[in-house]
Amino acid sequence: MRSFLNIGYNKLFAFFVVLGLLSACDGGNKKLPILGERDWVTKTVDGKEVTDTIYNVIPPFSFTNQYGDTVTEKIVENKIYVTDFFFTTCPTICPVMKRQMVKVFKEFKDNPDVMILSHTIDPEHDTPQVLNKFAKDLGVEGKQWQFLTGPKEKIYEIGQKSYLSAAQEDKTAEGGFLHSGAFILIDKEKHIRGMYDGTTEEGTQKLIQGIKSLLEEYKK
Amino acid sequence: MIKKLIFALSALTIFSCQSEQELKTEQYFAEGYQIYTMNCANCHQADGKGMANLYPPLDGSKIIRDKAAMACIMRYGMKGTITVNGKPFNRPMPANAKLQELEIAEVITYVNMKWGKDSTYTPIATVTAALTACKEH
Ligand code: HEC
Repeated sequence: MRSFLNIGYNKLFAFFVVLGLLSACDGGNKKLPILGERDWVTKTVDGKEVTDTIYNVIPPFSFTNQYGDTVTEKIVENKIYVTDFFFTTCPTICPVMKRQMVKVFKEFKDNPDVMILSHTIDPEHDTPQVLNKFAKDLGVEGKQWQFLTGPKEKIYEIGQKSYLSAAQEDKTAEGGFLHSGAFILIDKEKHIRGMYDGTTEEGTQKLIQGIKSLLEEYKK
Repeated sequence: MIKKLIFALSALTIFSCQSEQELKTEQYFAEGYQIYTMNCANCHQADGKGMANLYPPLDGSKIIRDKAAMACIMRYGMKGTITVNGKPFNRPMPANAKLQELEIAEVITYVNMKWGKDSTYTPIATVTAALTACKEH
């Protein structure tokens, strides 16, 4: 009888531990971090010195999409978005990234708060017409997923400096360009909130979770 | 997974006295699988079903039965509009100059045993002849 009770208490105890863990996860501390370089400024407010953190913010941009329209930062105003870099003739990781991004696209299809911006890093070849056909062949229609092209320097600059994502021409790389396989998640304040490996299923699932928790953040 | 496969294959080799042809078939298939995964699955997918209207399927494609054509496509790439399983595709496939004749033969073996009707390997001689012919064109 006694030992029976003991087992009972142990089980009960384990139950509460698990319960505690579960509710701890719900406690709101799963907020995504803000990534990127940051700066600090010190200013004087009401005679006191306070330090403000200045986060890396995605600057204004202007590119052309697969419909030939000019697209600026206004298109993602008050939206969260995922961005990546690719080129349509890439033989290596891009087809995998696009297959994975289609999953993200389907998950949040028609959600007005979520967009995808895919930048080509081979704008000489990837004109709006080429991007248009690529998007269609991929099965993507509408404006929620934008395929962007523009001046090469501008694309590389925003890739390297703002999205912290390597993108450059390299004749020795297969396909002629070097770039990362990252999916980058940006919030409504234009901060980077996550970088995910777009070449793996695991990275893609983490991104989907990241988008969901970011959407939650804005509900409150 | 691959190690298991290789182990299983070598176990098979030891316990069943196989003809040289069966041995080669297994070797070509196993290596072809690895080369396919590294060089082709990005686009044509691991299951050979292709991807939307971007990359055509190999599973069910008539083109894979033409081994000479397959060898040339791998070595020199291809472009123009083609129809695979009733669907049109028009997007250049990049050449893969790295692959040796043996490796090309192994991929053809894998693809045709997996998604075609072959039950034996495709010899290097087939590839050599095909590549000489398509180069002349
Ligand atoms: C960068 C993506 C890409 C890679 C990597 C690639 N292919 Fe292709 N492949 C294509 C495209 C696109 C076509 C369609 C070409 C066209 O429309 O003319 C094609 C066509 C084919 C075809 C003829 C059409 C069919 O479906 O039967 C075969 C066979 C083929 N590829 C085999 C291979 C093999 C084997 C490999 C690996 C050595 C490979 N491909 C690697 C993109 C790729």
